[in-house]
Amino acid sequence: MAKVGAAVKSRNDVFKIISNQKYLIVLVLPAFILTLVFSYIPLAGWFIAFSDYQLGFSFFSGGWTGLKQFRLFFGETDDAFNIIRNTLAMNVMSLVGGLGIAFIFSLLIKEVSSGRAKKVIQIITFFPYFMSWVILYSVIYSLFSTSTGAINNFLVDAGVLKESLNILGDKKYSWTLIVLVNIWNTLGYNSVIFLASISNVPTDLYEAASIDGAGRLQKAIYITIPYMLPTLLVLFIMNSGWILNSGLDQYLVFTNPTNRPTMEVFDMYIYRYGIKLMNYSYATAVGIIKSVVSIAILYGVNLLSKRLSSRSII
Amino acid sequence: MRKVQAFELLFDIFNAVLMIAVVLVMAYPFLYVFLYSISDPSRLKAGLMFWPQKVTLNSYKVILANPVIINGVYISVARSVIGTITMLMVTGAAAYAISKKHLIGVRFLRVFFLLTMYFSGGIIPAYLLIKSLGLTNNFLVYIIPGMVSVFNMILIRTYVESIPASLEESALMVGANELQIFVYLIIPMSTPVFAAVGLFSFVNQWNSFVDVQIYNFMKPDLYPLQYILYNYLMSQSQSVEQAKRSMNVTAISPQSLKTTITIITILPIFFIYPVLQKYFVSGLMVGSIKE
Repeated sequence: MAKVGAAVKSRNDVFKIISNQKYLIVLVLPAFILTLVFSYIPLAGWFIAFSDYQLGFSFFSGGWTGLKQFRLFFGETDDAFNIIRNTLAMNVMSLVGGLGIAFIFSLLIKEVSSGRAKKVIQIITFFPYFMSWVILYSVIYSLFSTSTGAINNFLVDAGVLKESLNILGDKKYSWTLIVLVNIWNTLGYNSVIFLASISNVPTDLYEAASIDGAGRLQKAIYITIPYMLPTLLVLFIMNSGWILNSGLDQYLVFTNPTNRPTMEVFDMYIYRYGIKLMNYSYATAVGIIKSVVSIAILYGVNLLSKRLSSRSII
Repeated sequence: MRKVQAFELLFDIFNAVLMIAVVLVMAYPFLYVFLYSISDPSRLKAGLMFWPQKVTLNSYKVILANPVIINGVYISVARSVIGTITMLMVTGAAAYAISKKHLIGVRFLRVFFLLTMYFSGGIIPAYLLIKSLGLTNNFLVYIIPGMVSVFNMILIRTYVESIPASLEESALMVGANELQIFVYLIIPMSTPVFAAVGLFSFVNQWNSFVDVQIYNFMKPDLYPLQYILYNYLMSQSQSVEQAKRSMNVTAISPQSLKTTITIITILPIFFIYPVLQKYFVSGLMVGSIKE
């Protein structure tokens, strides 16, 4: 902006440029207005976290309450501790598990000799990624519900289990469930990225290694893996910036009153207090905490990323 | 040398078995739901199955005759098609405009759009805004907030910038304005990126249900398929009978009903999936070139 301002000498020139570019301005205007309204105006809504907001009144009509809502979240209950613990535990384990298993899986796909089989495996593993969480839940429910779940019934009939595991409802299994489901859901996606990095390995490296008598294991260890490591690092760094974000859609289907203590994450908590209980000021305050910590993490991760891989993610 | 070969053979066998296991874990859950939906409920036993029991399309007939489901199909198709087309128009136009370095304030605009990828006001301020705009209990809430996608804007812009500038210059020379250039030159020349981005927007729209839950849950007329299924799954544990009555289907078992709606909801994605997978791989390539 500053440079443009300096270049433009007088008001008349500005009008001249605008009239010359009126069609381009018309093209960008709808997106500009929509972004302003739906992305920037909500920021003004942060104000209600510091006031006593009631629905139907203006944002600024409630009394000033200062940091009361923030103190409520951290001070009054165990909620803050539980929410932060659940969010971090499930997201960190999903990230590490998801990337780690996809890394190994891609190495193994590479060793499949038939090109057609490779394609089929990739196509099938990618499928769950395009399904909504409602569909995924419906499918998982069919297999794991306590009454009609096929796998539960099978294991009980086979004598492996005495009674059905309540994996969807018992709070003992929340983290296991979410981590496994996330690995299952993202395996295809992550391995496509890893396979792209494998395909960048120059083939003459393998040829040279063969001449030297290297086996497949040695080629994997000394050629393929070193080529994949930078990709792993970049993916890891990029994803860890979003460590406090958990898709509302996923947790909307998996959270229920019985597993809530270990299943509830930031977004669900905000949703429950804001939309369901209509405690707007409190929910907004929790949202602000989440956003600020997120941005701090993103910034820190970005610094780290610049150091380690000399590339900035922002 | 023989030892090495034995090891390699062993590894190949192990790898093949593992790959088959992975494919099973990925595909079987969907296969099971499909088999269940086409089986006769009275013949079904609890437990795993690998082929259908007495194939019948009865549950499909019952469900596709249900006005609630039919309405859901309409809403799903409408939001996916309209949402995708309007997103492509608004986002595509902006992408083209900000690809022009001489556009007034272009540096500001690029940052203005880009920043929104890294922060948001949060669920509650967005909800209060949409409520105050009168977009709750309104079909337009599926369309308007999704018209700008900054991620897609970057993808389209990257592609548009690769179109030779000489084409546009000659069009300007013969007196075309940028609006005409965008419609008659840029859009036809950027079909691959528009198709890829459009497909993903379609899938996202088709899969959405959170916005229904937050903004439109009071308006059953506006429920898309995904939300009908969501509602049904969630009410399941409380009262199966009540849910069945509300859907006006009592002839088939609740599990058949659920699996059948699930398959109907998957179907459109299933058919475009091969194209989707192909585009996605190339889309990831676009992303990596950008970096």
